[in-house]
Amino acid sequence: MFGPVVRALEDEELIRRVAEGDDQALSELYNRYSRPVYATGIRLLGDAHLAEELVQDAFMSVWRAAGSFDPGRASFTTWLYRITRNRAVDLNRRRQVRPFSAGEEPLRNVSGGPEPEGGVDGWDVARALSLIPDEHREVLTLAYFEGLSQREISRRIGVPLGTIKSRTTAALKRLHRSLVDPAAEESRHD
Amino acid sequence: MTEDRFEKLLGPYLLGELSVEEERELEGHLEECSRCRGELARARQTHDLLQELAAGGPPPELKDRVMARARGQSPARARGGWRLWVTAAALLVIAVLGGGLLWTITKDSSEGIPLAAKAPTSEGGGELSGEVEEGNLQIELVVWGLPELRKDEYYELWYAREDGGRISCGTFRAEPEGQTTVNLTAPASAVSYPEIEVTREPDDGDPDSSGEKILVGDLQSL
Repeated sequence: MFGPVVRALEDEELIRRVAEGDDQALSELYNRYSRPVYATGIRLLGDAHLAEELVQDAFMSVWRAAGSFDPGRASFTTWLYRITRNRAVDLNRRRQVRPFSAGEEPLRNVSGGPEPEGGVDGWDVARALSLIPDEHREVLTLAYFEGLSQREISRRIGVPLGTIKSRTTAALKRLHRSLVDPAAEESRHD
Repeated sequence: MTEDRFEKLLGPYLLGELSVEEERELEGHLEECSRCRGELARARQTHDLLQELAAGGPPPELKDRVMARARGQSPARARGGWRLWVTAAALLVIAVLGGGLLWTITKDSSEGIPLAAKAPTSEGGGELSGEVEEGNLQIELVVWGLPELRKDEYYELWYAREDGGRISCGTFRAEPEGQTTVNLTAPASAVSYPEIEVTREPDDGDPDSSGEKILVGDLQSL
C-alpha cells in the first residue's frame, strides 16, 4: 500500500494525478475499483480469463485517457463504468470472431453499475468506501480485502487493539451512511 | 460493560473477532436492547456487502501486470509519441524507396506499445518500442509472465494485417520468471501492418505462423 497522502485523496484528485503520470495514484484507483470492474467482467462475459483481460484493458484505458476525464460531466465511478462496459463489448466482439469454446457465452444483459436500475452493487460499495474518512477506509480494507485480524491490523498500523475494534464498528456505520446517502457524504468533501 | 461499549464491539462481532466472554456478554445485551439490535442489523448489511465485494476480486498478481504495463508508457505522451513514430516511419519508407535517404528516430520520441495477453491462456504481457535505423525497424520487446514453452517451441513476433498477411520480426524464448528483453529487426515496411502479435510456434520447420497468439498489440488503438 502507498502512503497516507495518496490513500486519503478523492477519486477525482487521483485521476487528475494519473493524467500527470502519477502511477501511485493509478495504483490507489486500482485498489479501490478493480473489484467491481472484475465483478462486472464476470457478470457480463461469464469468463474469469476475459474478466482479467477486462481489468487490464480498463485500467490501461484509465492510464492513457485520464487527461480526457471531465469531472463536470460525470463522477469518476460513472466514467470508469462506461469504460468497463465498452471494453467488455470489445472483448465480446473479439471473442465472437473465434469459434465458441466451452464456457463461453454471448455478452450477458445485466443491470448494475454506478447508475443502477435497483439495488446496491460493488460499484456503489467501492464509491462509498472512497468517500469515508481514510482511517475508516483503512481498517475496512485491511479487514475485508486483506483478511487481517483486528490484532494484526493493530500491529500493522500501530494503533491499540481496543481502538481498532471501535474504529471498525464506526467505519461500518459510516460506510452504511455513505451507501444510504452518498450525496450527503460527498457534500462533506466539498 | 456499558451500552456504548457494547455498541463499539458490533464490528468485531460480525468479523468473529470477539473473545468467547465478550461474545456471550454482547449477545446477552442484544437480547435486551432493541437499539443495539438495530445498529447490528445495519452493520450486518454493510458487512455482507463488503464480504461480497472481497470475494469477487481479481487475482492479486493481476495488479503487478497492470502496473508494469502502465509504468512502461506515459499517459500523456503515449498517443502522440507513437503517432509521430508511425508517421516518421512511413516517411522513412517513402524516403528509402525514393532516394535511399536514411532516417533515424531517437527513442525519446517514442513510447511503448502495450501487448495484451490473449485468451484462453491470458498469461503475461509485453511492451514494444523501437526506432528506425538504416532502413530497418530496430525493435526492443519486453515480455513478462508468458506461458512456459516446451523445449521444441519458441515465440515469434509478427506485424500482421487483417487479410492475414504477416511479417516476421524474429523469434525468441522468454524466461519463466521476471521480464525478458529481446532486440529484433524488421523491414521498415512493417509499419504498414497495423497489428502486432506474439505467437507460440512449434519447431517444425514451417515458417508460417501457427496462429496461436499469446500477446497482441494494436498500433491503431493508440
